[in-house]
Amino acid sequence: VKKTTDPPRLGVWLLTKRLSAKWCDFIIGDLAEEFAMRSVDSRIAAHAWFWCQAVRCLAAPPPVHRASMALERSRGDSRMHMVVADLCYALRVVSRTPSFAVAVVSVLALGIGANTALFSIVNAVLLRPLPFEEPERLVRIFTRTPAGVSFDLSPGKFYDWQRDAQSFEGMAMYPCCGFRGFALTGTGTARAVRAAAVSAGFFEIVRARPALGRVFRQEEDTPGGKYVVVLSDRFWRTEFGGNPDVIGRTVRLSDEPYTIVGIMPAHASVASWPPMACDLWVPLALSDEERANRQNHNLEGVARLKRDVELAHAQAEMDAISARLAREFPKSDGRWGAVVIPMQEAIVGNSRTMLLMLLGAVGLVLLIACANVGNLFFTRTLNRRREIAIRSALGAGRGRVFQQLLIEALLLASIGGALGLLVAHVTLDAASALLANHVPRANEISNDAHVLLFVVAVSILAGLVAGTLPALRAERSDLNAALKEGGRSNGAIGVGTRRVLIVCEVALSVVLLMGAGVMIQSLLALRHSNTGFDPNNVLSMKVTLVKARYPTSAQRSSFFDTALQRIRALPGVDSAGSIDDLPFIDGSAQPLEREGYTEGSPGGTSVVHVRQITPGYLRAMRIPLLRGRGIVQSDVDVLLVSQDAAKLVWGADDPIGRLARLPLLSKTALRQVVGVVGDVKQRDLSEPSTPTVYYYSRERSWGSATLVIRTSLPPTALAQPVVAAIHAIDPEQPVEDIRTMEQVIDSRLTSQRFSALLLGIFAGAALLLASVGIYAVLSYIVRGRTREIGIRTALGARAADVLRMVIVEGMWPTLVGIAAGTIAAMASARVMETLVFGVSASDPLTLAAVAATLAVVALMASLVPAYRALRLDPARVLRAD
Amino acid sequence: MWFKRKAPVLGDFEQLVLLGVLRLELQDSAYGAAIRQEIHARSRRDVSINAVYTTLDRLESKGLLKSWVGDPTPQRGGRRRKVYALRPAGVAALRQAYRAFTAMADGLQSRLELK
Repeated sequence: VKKTTDPPRLGVWLLTKRLSAKWCDFIIGDLAEEFAMRSVDSRIAAHAWFWCQAVRCLAAPPPVHRASMALERSRGDSRMHMVVADLCYALRVVSRTPSFAVAVVSVLALGIGANTALFSIVNAVLLRPLPFEEPERLVRIFTRTPAGVSFDLSPGKFYDWQRDAQSFEGMAMYPCCGFRGFALTGTGTARAVRAAAVSAGFFEIVRARPALGRVFRQEEDTPGGKYVVVLSDRFWRTEFGGNPDVIGRTVRLSDEPYTIVGIMPAHASVASWPPMACDLWVPLALSDEERANRQNHNLEGVARLKRDVELAHAQAEMDAISARLAREFPKSDGRWGAVVIPMQEAIVGNSRTMLLMLLGAVGLVLLIACANVGNLFFTRTLNRRREIAIRSALGAGRGRVFQQLLIEALLLASIGGALGLLVAHVTLDAASALLANHVPRANEISNDAHVLLFVVAVSILAGLVAGTLPALRAERSDLNAALKEGGRSNGAIGVGTRRVLIVCEVALSVVLLMGAGVMIQSLLALRHSNTGFDPNNVLSMKVTLVKARYPTSAQRSSFFDTALQRIRALPGVDSAGSIDDLPFIDGSAQPLEREGYTEGSPGGTSVVHVRQITPGYLRAMRIPLLRGRGIVQSDVDVLLVSQDAAKLVWGADDPIGRLARLPLLSKTALRQVVGVVGDVKQRDLSEPSTPTVYYYSRERSWGSATLVIRTSLPPTALAQPVVAAIHAIDPEQPVEDIRTMEQVIDSRLTSQRFSALLLGIFAGAALLLASVGIYAVLSYIVRGRTREIGIRTALGARAADVLRMVIVEGMWPTLVGIAAGTIAAMASARVMETLVFGVSASDPLTLAAVAATLAVVALMASLVPAYRALRLDPARVLRAD
Repeated sequence: MWFKRKAPVLGDFEQLVLLGVLRLELQDSAYGAAIRQEIHARSRRDVSINAVYTTLDRLESKGLLKSWVGDPTPQRGGRRRKVYALRPAGVAALRQAYRAFTAMADGLQSRLELK
């Protein structure tokens, strides 16, 4: 008997059929329960309600089980879920093909590592702010010579500028040409210390505050002022063990007592800027006569711009002041100007172009690496066409396939990037040591947040560059054909894209090889350029006498005469002499006045390099004597002039026997020219020789000289006996900078050698990568055309035909690449032109050599696949089909 | 988990269902029909039983609810009930939804003609 509270049977039956087992009991039970309740009130209403609910349940029953729910959710879920799923899948795929992963990761790690290492250098040298407070307001001040070159300051001009300029908070100066040589005496053995003499206000301008004590007072920056000294943190710790009670104590420098007034903190030392890289500071203390001097340009200026004053405004003000001073002092200041340069620019100097060029070059290497990796991805993607087709058949959209392939590329690039960072970290110490003293701020090279960001960005970029093209090609592939093929590789697909990759690789390689070729030629040209002297078998060393121990010029001359005599007596010494400043070390440039010159007469005065030498110097350096005679010990105040100087000062006239004056040394003394000697490069290997005047004087006004010794022995073997000979005269005399002349020249070439070495490595890597790329593509093409080659051979094609076919296939993208690369190399020649010497950056011979090298390498790379094509057995090929 | 998981944002109907469970769970009577009736009685929305179960299932898979199967009863023709209760995450999600609603409605009572 049917109970009146039972729900309609048809409804229950329908629901039982429609609902899953999971829900059936609960839903029908619930409906039955409520139906019974409602039936108490009204059966009709209860029925109506039941059917209404039943229809809704039948139309949209609750989901069957949770697993299916999860599937549904993942399909429509957030992008992040998909990315995570793709990442997991990529990890599985990568771990299934470890050899592929290792190849891709190692190529990218090297590419990214080289880029990161170079970026670390660029970051430290060019991008990182200088370690000063508000470094953007610090500027360097130079004079501008009538020839338009930035030059050092004379005190007279500096004090006028300091008085009149309103754009600066303060202005200070310090001597150029390195440090003032001091000997730390009174400690038993004398030791050379590096001191910077700075004018009052220097520390306030650079915002260097002492950790202990104080800095100099205005009245201490005068000749009569007290002898005071501020110590660097390093000097304080090594010499005084970091004792804080040293303030007020005295230290003996060159036998003079100096009172210690302050200690600078360690962070105040800035290795890239000489006046802040020294052991100690003393006041500049110029005499009134020196302060008034407007012609002796031997000081450097530093200033701090006032807040809200633009550099251009300061420059304009300095121009106006210079113009006024030129009218006021036409003789000394006429046509001279002033130059204001940001501190960063002054310190970095011409390293900027070189570093940016190298960064560009290493970027090209990465691009080539990416092209190769892209090629690898491409091959693999094509081998996975069936898998991709199945995924598409199961509903993966084109975007989804693209995303998944790209994520694989990005994953490998990220691993490559992480390893690249490691590579960079390992190579940085070596780079820093190699560049120390030759690239400014080399000691600051390190990895920081910028470098990390760079690695991340470059890795992503490399992944995108290498992965995009293959991924795009894959999602375009024909689903139907791929499934029909059943995983067989049939025919070469995407050959066009691969050819484009080859063209790119070859073109980039041409640019790099060209750069390296030109740079190496330039280095060789510089190394073998005629310096005017013979640097082989010459030893040099610097001797700075302690002034207090050799107060008179006679004593100083006697010391050097005795020392040279003893050195000449040593076994193996051919000749020995001395000069105040060696070639390629900053030396003095001064006006030279011909006899009879009167103020205002044109052409009477010329600026020449002036060097003080002793007899024996010319012989030791093998500087040829062209006319007249050399200097001898018995001479008093004579001059030797270089050919350039003779031409500059006396024109076509014979200078021998003429008289001339060096007004900065003595306003009255006339010296006679006794000989003309060969020209010597004094400033830089890449510059032409400089007009030079050598003088010999019994009067030795300063006690610093560089001894130059020519020997028949290996020069370094002579160092010990020479130092012993000097110490035999004065055991407390420091001897510094013991170097061979070849080392002196080499030290001028470090940055060129660094560029040539790096460019050579980059070009070699590019060549290797390009040849591997050509080989890989050709192998792929030959594999794809196996059937065709088999049929051709079976139909009677000769071996030469097959060989030609494969080689032409490899050579034509190479030739297109060489043509494109030649155009690119010509375009980039403008950047290189400023960096090379003795060779044109678009040198046609080098370009021809580069093109030939690449063509030969491409031919070699084509030979193996061609040989493989030749050895195909047509019978086996056709059977396999 | 090393990070704090955010409570999921609830839809309007999910809130009603969760509140229904909260009201009924103390008597262990938070099952489909009772929740449906509670929603009907209080919000005047006559919802279908399949919608209630679909939502309950989703909330359970999100970790906001737990469930167990009760004993068969004669009123249900010997069929069993599926009884639900809130998990702490469900309480947190409801709390967040409630706070958001009251915060947004604060000061608007007169304009909504609630006073």
